[in-house]
Amino acid sequence: MKITRSNTMILLVSIIVGVSLVAVFPTFSDAQSEQKTFVTHSGAVVRTSGEVIDPLYTVSTVDFDPDEFLRNFEYGRVSVSETGQTIREYTIVAEDDKIQEISPGVFYNVWTFNGTVPGPTIRATEGDLLRIHFINNGSKEHTMHFHGIHPAGMDGVFEPVGGNGGQFVYEFEAGPVGVHPYHCHVMPLEEHIVHGLYGVFIVDPKEGRAPADEMVMVLNGLDTDFDTENNFYAANTIPFYYQHHPIQINTHELIRVYVVNMVEFDPINNFHLHGNLYKYYPTGTDIVPSFYTDMITMSQTERGIMEFEYEYPGKYLFHAHKVEFSEKGWVGIFLVKENPEINQDIEYGT
Amino acid sequence: MELSNNSSKVKMIASGIIPFVFVIIMMAYIFGPGGDLIDLGIPLPEVTIEKVDFVDSEIHATVRNTGPIPVNIVVADVNDRIHPAAVEPDGYLERYETALVRIPFEWNEAEPYTVGITVGDGTRFEKEIESAAPALQPTLDLAVFFAIIGTYVGIIPVMIGLLWLPFIKKISKSKYHFFLALTAGLLLFLAFDSIEEAVDVSNENLAGSFNGILLIATVIVLSFLGLYYSGEKLVQRAKSSKLAKPVAIALMISISIGLHNFGEGLAIGAAVGMGSIAFSTFLIVGFALHNTTEGIAIAAPMSREKVMIGKLAAMGMIAGSPAIFGAWIGGFVYSPFTSVIFLSIGAGAIFQVIVILIKWLRDEGDKNLSSASVVSGFAVGMLVMYLTSILI
Repeated sequence: MKITRSNTMILLVSIIVGVSLVAVFPTFSDAQSEQKTFVTHSGAVVRTSGEVIDPLYTVSTVDFDPDEFLRNFEYGRVSVSETGQTIREYTIVAEDDKIQEISPGVFYNVWTFNGTVPGPTIRATEGDLLRIHFINNGSKEHTMHFHGIHPAGMDGVFEPVGGNGGQFVYEFEAGPVGVHPYHCHVMPLEEHIVHGLYGVFIVDPKEGRAPADEMVMVLNGLDTDFDTENNFYAANTIPFYYQHHPIQINTHELIRVYVVNMVEFDPINNFHLHGNLYKYYPTGTDIVPSFYTDMITMSQTERGIMEFEYEYPGKYLFHAHKVEFSEKGWVGIFLVKENPEINQDIEYGT
Repeated sequence: MELSNNSSKVKMIASGIIPFVFVIIMMAYIFGPGGDLIDLGIPLPEVTIEKVDFVDSEIHATVRNTGPIPVNIVVADVNDRIHPAAVEPDGYLERYETALVRIPFEWNEAEPYTVGITVGDGTRFEKEIESAAPALQPTLDLAVFFAIIGTYVGIIPVMIGLLWLPFIKKISKSKYHFFLALTAGLLLFLAFDSIEEAVDVSNENLAGSFNGILLIATVIVLSFLGLYYSGEKLVQRAKSSKLAKPVAIALMISISIGLHNFGEGLAIGAAVGMGSIAFSTFLIVGFALHNTTEGIAIAAPMSREKVMIGKLAAMGMIAGSPAIFGAWIGGFVYSPFTSVIFLSIGAGAIFQVIVILIKWLRDEGDKNLSSASVVSGFAVGMLVMYLTSILI
């Protein structure tokens, strides 16, 4: 009896041991001994022997530079017509095969105008003639559809431009005054927009605006897993970018931000500024501000101009007060410095 | 003669090897250089969050690469909000490799959380936790607590069930057959119960690439075959030793019930570990009532023998005490994969005992399995188990 029972037990034990070896066998690869640290949202310092995944604090090597984009305005190749009208010519190339690192480690297929998301910020004065040479180097059909006033044939909707070198020249007078989006208008529209085919079109009034430190912010989202929900949000594409690369501005200096909301899927977006309020000009079409507030809500392609000045130096957040968006990347910091040339006139944006 | 013998041997070996050679050639052709024959589409990454632990100011997610290609873990989120996190040992995972993602997060007890992991191509995978509870630390107190629960669930009910032995001893042959069939019915129910649990665990926690249902089926069959073989050996030896056949059968029943109770212990330990305390209280009461019937299963075959209390108690321990070990493992080092394996082994063990029981009933009952006592016993066994299982 002893023998037989022990035989059964041996068999049982060996089965159990064998199975647990398979189940428990550590598949963890060799651990690194080097200790790394990172800071959490609440300021705690965490140590790890592994790898830090942190879209906030790692210095990203992303292909697109939001700092460069922020204050960059394209005025085009300028000439004057016989009638004295300013002509601004641009060449815009669409592509749809780029894979870009849009957040550290996250690679996404962006569709671009001139290689970036958003595309270049096109800037003209009201009444200028815009001539945009559009070349589609993508594999799909693309167009450029400008918000604003122009003839039907220049609307970029019923004139799809074929891929692999298709061309079209958009020609119209810049207007009305304000800040407008432009984007591809080929079906399925949502797909063409969320992949990145959009940009900003600024029309300055003939008399100009007051000198200011001017910048462009395109509020956008990235649906990297195509489930019609955005995985990341940002001001100017790269999540959390201006949080770890604060935008430097001066006290007692007028700041003018051209804001365009291009977020898809979510019905609204918003813009909250810390330690200050801004004058808000919806669509930038009026010279009298409609609001003096620190919070505006924007629907798809809603846009406007914000103007403000900081009195006190320091770090001030700006972010979506729809906190889901800010915790997924749409958050930044203004680093306000004491103005060194407080009594001198400085002209920006020219 | 010898020569032809040799050549036929060579022929035999060659005929065994030739198909293998062709298989190798085929593989070389398909996968070899220039073999772009099966360049079918783009493989998609997949990771599975197998386990989420709530520890001091951190949420720990055990992530396994269950897709066909290596992945990089690049973003971690809690409730779809991105948080800085650490991946140990590193974020690059080969197929089936696992990593621990540590997300610093001040979580609140009993609240639901969703943990998300995004890989390099931007695909996000998530796992929902119904109710956060602190991960159990393997302290002595807790070990004792689990041992007590295991005793309540496993040992005591089985021992109580064994107290029916004197009653079963006194009844007529047909009623005795009724009780043996009842045992088979009870066991069959337990087998289905184990399979159901294994399928649930597999569906909830194992990636599709483990082929959960087929894994369960394979382990059940292997466990059945292994125990069937060793069981037959046991019975054969029983004939030549003083170990009587009914005792051998009772022993096998207690071993298989023990394996089953191990699975129940896992379920209880895991429930406590996952913070569903109310749920585990039900589980404990239910299993305790349920398991008294297991005592009958062991007692029935033994009732025609002169039985020593010691032997009976030993069988009760074999059947009941694995619940304690199960609770320890389930509570402290829960792994869904291990659970599925053990639950399936338990089911296979039970099927083996049922086969032995039915064989025995057939021999005892003059090759007749359709007598009223056998049929009604089997049916009542299933019904009793179903009714007590509602309590869980």
